[in-house]
Amino acid sequence: MLKKEEPQDPSVAFRYPRVIPYKHSLGYQSKFAHALKMGRIIATKCPVDGRCTVPPRIVCPMHHVRQTEWVDQGQRGKLLSAFKINFPMFDSRTGELKSWEYPIVAIELEGGARMDGWCAETDTEKLKPGIILEAVWRPAEERKGRVDDIIYWKPV
Amino acid sequence: MTGERIAIVGVGQTVHKSKRTDVNTAELCAEAVEAALADAQLTIKDIDCVILGSFEPADGYSGPDKWIVPEIGCVGKAGFEMQNVGTTGAVACATAFNMAASGLFENVLCVAWQKMDEAAGAFGRGGGGANEYWTGQFPMSPITNFARRTYDYMTRSGCTEEHLAMVRVKQDQCAQRNKNAQLKLGLTVEKVMGDFLLAWPIRRLHMCPTTAGSAAIVVCPEKRAKKVSMKPVWVEDWFTCHQGGALTMAEDPQASTLGYACKKIYKRCGITNPKKEIQAWEVYEPASTAELRWMEEVGVAEDYKAWKLFEQGKVGIEKEIPFNPSGGVTATNPIGCTPVVRVVEASLQVRGDAEEHQVPGTINRALATGYGGQGENVVFLLKKAL
Amino acid sequence: MTHHDKKGVADIPEDPIIVEVQAHSNFLVTIGNTGHKFLSEIKDNKTIMGIKCPQCKKVYVPPRTHCPTCFAKMSEWVKLSGQGTLETFTIVRYKEQYMPKEPPYAYGVIKLNGADTGVVHFIGGIDLNKIKVGMKMEPVFKEQREGSILDIEYFKPVG
Repeated sequence: MLKKEEPQDPSVAFRYPRVIPYKHSLGYQSKFAHALKMGRIIATKCPVDGRCTVPPRIVCPMHHVRQTEWVDQGQRGKLLSAFKINFPMFDSRTGELKSWEYPIVAIELEGGARMDGWCAETDTEKLKPGIILEAVWRPAEERKGRVDDIIYWKPV
Repeated sequence: MTGERIAIVGVGQTVHKSKRTDVNTAELCAEAVEAALADAQLTIKDIDCVILGSFEPADGYSGPDKWIVPEIGCVGKAGFEMQNVGTTGAVACATAFNMAASGLFENVLCVAWQKMDEAAGAFGRGGGGANEYWTGQFPMSPITNFARRTYDYMTRSGCTEEHLAMVRVKQDQCAQRNKNAQLKLGLTVEKVMGDFLLAWPIRRLHMCPTTAGSAAIVVCPEKRAKKVSMKPVWVEDWFTCHQGGALTMAEDPQASTLGYACKKIYKRCGITNPKKEIQAWEVYEPASTAELRWMEEVGVAEDYKAWKLFEQGKVGIEKEIPFNPSGGVTATNPIGCTPVVRVVEASLQVRGDAEEHQVPGTINRALATGYGGQGENVVFLLKKAL
Repeated sequence: MTHHDKKGVADIPEDPIIVEVQAHSNFLVTIGNTGHKFLSEIKDNKTIMGIKCPQCKKVYVPPRTHCPTCFAKMSEWVKLSGQGTLETFTIVRYKEQYMPKEPPYAYGVIKLNGADTGVVHFIGGIDLNKIKVGMKMEPVFKEQREGSILDIEYFKPVG
């Protein structure tokens, strides 16, 4: 639960902590989640301009046509940008305020799609745009079909 | 544009603070509504439509319009609430403009608010537009988004951290002359460059604060506006659209709809030289460094060269480019309400009523924008004379 | 960079997946000065106060700063006896997340004498099946009060 200073006098202010459960259907993107469990990254491809997007989308946002072709994006990508978070930020999944050890990187995958990920290299000076990174996956039995099944990306 | 021509006949805002322990959220809105009605010299009985705006996850009230409408005396009036992360206030204003332009209503009140001292920190699952399931593992926030944008800008433009600090100092100098602004800090370039680093190159001082504040406007169709106000501020045009890509900003760190929206508006209104034809700018910048790229997208600076204008001291209230004379979002940010503050400030500039932070000379046109999520913009063009 | 291995995707399943997540929140509610005075009177003096509109003369409980009808600023406080008439009620028999009490419990709207609005609160001190609309009610205050609307434990029938 998110910890904040507790107000002392309820006639001035009070808090009401809540944990609300949700169930989200992944729908068309379920295939993407299954692929992650298998240690693969796949993307949908736009039939008009050939652009691949991760996460996949049922309809191309620019051309308004259904995207039915799925393309494997490989295991490597080119670094586009990197940044490190220097201060504690909330993890909205658990409500915890925590420190974030690894830099976040934006990568262009072999198949052309772009995505975010964590990076094993914590020295941002070494993270120059253009270097090649490779996905490091969790063991198969620990994967949940989420993007963090890739623990981080490591410079090759 | 079809429909009635419309004007803003009254504006109001609270004095923005980081905490307001003396009022609850509804009472905060009532203050802004009172101010706007007093400015318009109307009473609540004149209002026939009310549009509200709040980014609900930022202060934790779901469907707050049910609570707030009675507390601002609007029971029985047509209207509803609008919400859209950072552009909440802007879409609320846009809706109010459309309601007035429809010819169905005579006096439309638009009020937006945010009481962020009540926030729980991790507001907004969904990261402002990104699909929560895929991005929920990343601490996505304006800080990290603008860290990315600014780093990319620096790479393409060659500007240094010192230039980013110059932008922040300009913001602060303007805010010090705005009686409603929250942060007035007496900054120097050295102070900014030495400040705590959040996520390179964004330092704590570069980011907007959390604010408890509210703002309201009253909008009328032409005939009514001319009767009600001596200085109506005409809404010439407005536009908003979504952007393709940038689901997580990985796809294109510079993706933004601002340039696109401005081009559309300029074409529709026959503006060919925005620097000359628009005299005041209130362009929503969630991080002070965003101003650099925004100046280029609205057309007052060449692509990737805006930083030079700061180096040359050309940006400020009395300078060549009066960008964000109110101190901008960097000084005050009650999320759902901030774009309404931009419209209020732009209207005051057009009327010549911005007091100490008034841009000198005749303001024939002012541009006001709202920004939200991963790069959505709502752009308004306000005009002095029809 | 080598051209990636063009693997087919036919072997990847497409069964729909449903993901369970939990949203955590811990928002703060500010009462405001007006509400604070109301709750302080309940806590310190076991007194329920209303606020009166200078224009339409309506008395509102709980109080607020502006009259919903006139939007006039209100500052005239009115001390109420706390007694009133039960206008409507219901008995909650089902259970869900974040309920204030274990069901079954009753709550209703009590129109306080001297006020123009009803107050929502629990009904107690009576067999739930005997509650009737129109009953005269009075508040039962807790011994230990902290400045909350729940310093009133419930409203019970008079006598």
